[in-house]
Amino acid sequence: MGRKYVIVGGSAAGMAAAHTIRKKDRNGNITVLSNEKAQPYFRPMIPYIINGKKRPDDIFLSGSGIFTQGGISVKTGFGAKSIDFQKKTVTTASGEAFLYDKILFSSGSTPYLPENIEGLDSEGVFSLKTLSDAQGMAKRSETATHVVMLGGGILNLKAAFALLEKKLSVTMVVYSPEVLSQLMDPKDAFPIRNALDNAGLNIITGISATQVLTDSSGVCGVALDNGSQIACQMVCVGKGVVPDTGFLNGNDIKIDKGIFSDPYTQTSIKDAYTAGDVAVAIDPVTGEKTVTSLWTHAVEMGICAGLNMTGSKTVYTGTLGIMNATQVADVPLVSMGIVHTKNSEYETHAKKTRLTYRKIVFSKDGTRLIGALFIGDIKNAGIYRYVIREKKNINGIKSHLINHTVHYGHFMQP
Amino acid sequence: MSDLKEIFVNTQHCTGCLSCKLACAVQHSKNKDLFSALSQDPKPKSRLYVEWLWGNTKVPVLCRHCEDAPCVNACISGAITRAENNAVITNTDKCIGCWTCVMVCPYGVIGRDKDLKIAYRCDRCPDQDHPACVDACPTEALTYATVDKFSAEKRQAASREVAQGQGG
Ligand SMILES: Cc1cc2nc3c(=O)[nH]c(=O)nc-3n(C[C@H](O)[C@H](O)[C@H](O)COP(=O)(O)OP(=O)(O)OC[C@H]3O[C@@H](n4cnc5c(N)ncnc54)[C@H](O)[C@@H]3O)c2cc1C
Repeated sequence: MGRKYVIVGGSAAGMAAAHTIRKKDRNGNITVLSNEKAQPYFRPMIPYIINGKKRPDDIFLSGSGIFTQGGISVKTGFGAKSIDFQKKTVTTASGEAFLYDKILFSSGSTPYLPENIEGLDSEGVFSLKTLSDAQGMAKRSETATHVVMLGGGILNLKAAFALLEKKLSVTMVVYSPEVLSQLMDPKDAFPIRNALDNAGLNIITGISATQVLTDSSGVCGVALDNGSQIACQMVCVGKGVVPDTGFLNGNDIKIDKGIFSDPYTQTSIKDAYTAGDVAVAIDPVTGEKTVTSLWTHAVEMGICAGLNMTGSKTVYTGTLGIMNATQVADVPLVSMGIVHTKNSEYETHAKKTRLTYRKIVFSKDGTRLIGALFIGDIKNAGIYRYVIREKKNINGIKSHLINHTVHYGHFMQP
Repeated sequence: MSDLKEIFVNTQHCTGCLSCKLACAVQHSKNKDLFSALSQDPKPKSRLYVEWLWGNTKVPVLCRHCEDAPCVNACISGAITRAENNAVITNTDKCIGCWTCVMVCPYGVIGRDKDLKIAYRCDRCPDQDHPACVDACPTEALTYATVDKFSAEKRQAASREVAQGQGG
């Protein structure tokens, strides 16, 4: 009998772990429990389901990238409900029990729904998280003509563009002074903001919604805290995500925002591991605990957890809390490390051209690169990430970093 | 060790003639010949770079097709895979131009095609016996050889050096 591995949550982290385990342990029994109906898929691709550019079978994980192993039993529609750490059993919502030798919690995150906005449970209100959310949005957008997006983060921007492409008129209501406030200071966002305005997105900032208004067909409008109302047939809430630890009891296992992880991805309990959005990781720049929402981090931590579960002890060196690349309204963008510098003492160098903007952030004493923001020109962004992550010595190359002329040759031994 | 071949770089031999870049661009052009490549619009792109260093050292920089490639792990659309010849390749039909691979590549060798809005990178010329850049190099600064034990260790050390440990 092979070792029994049970994985709770079959997405980036869970499936990366499963495929890693399969490579290392040919005889093990790998069972992945997923409470979604669909087989595992590339979650960041679901905006393409809304605009119809992709079909679900275009975005399934199986066979792509690192997800090429066979012999993994993925049980879709099985939600873990409780864990007995003494008996080493998982019980699902439908009453089945699974014994494990090693278990991974990779249940990811769920959308944060603010309590101070009434009516978020109404028909026609969405948060873009799952394939089924995307399919629901695609359906509603067939008849809706106007959608209000609550929140100006990257997920909502992606959803907004998918809907703009479907010819809906889109209003984005942002409480912060500017969109993408998680990824940059408001004053750094101007090239993005210009592009968004030109693309036809209607953005209002410094305002929040108080209530979703409904009639017999669901959403019919949104009430704002300035007393005005916007008529719409659809609402999309993008106010961030929170780790999904609902099936765990905080008395049994250490939970501090997300699930505690030691440097080897093990939780506070032996033989139980964690990875991805649900796990707490260390940011190598700040040294602080962080819970993030990053596909890249979920895959890397999942691989690491898979290695540890098979007995190959491997340290997870953490993730930058901010590490985002994307293209919004035809403008490429990379934001990494510490990029919020307003009222800070960091040494920052900003450079603006007609179509591009970059900001390079060094530690207070100027000896370490700690963050970089590139808008419009993202060339060699990976080299900056490498220098930030590995805390590279920047003697002799600092001016290249500032002027965006750095290249790999600068790191070769002479 | 397998008999899979890799491109090796010897910076001491590089004169900076840029023949490799030209050959790469031509090889990745529509008709694969110099004259039509010159008039192709948008211009075909080289997937390797020659950088200048202190003194007068020239450094050809190209995709290492890393053992534990950060770009494969990072790709959010499933476009990046390892091909049979062990090269890490980007499937242009699947790439959506999110630039996550550009953000994680420590060598800076994944380019952004501004026209097609997708990423491009070295594919080691799968239809050829030798990659075009190697064939074009007059000084053997670029060579195509099997990975013997010694150089395997060297390469692994190099990729460990940059993509240190497991981390997102
Ligand atoms: C629209 C969109 C676009 C994105 N774009 C990007 C991007 O460009 N770049 C980037 O880095 N990140 C992006 N992300 C974030 C990225 O998708 C997440 O960080 C990543 O999916 C996290 O992976 P995970 O495996 O930790 O968890 P998740 O992907 O959240 O998956 C967890 C899974 O576990 C399941 N689950 C939860 N509880 C249970 C239970 N009790 N039993 C069984 N199953 C359970 C969930 O249903 C889910 O299927 C995007 C996210 C979205 C929604």
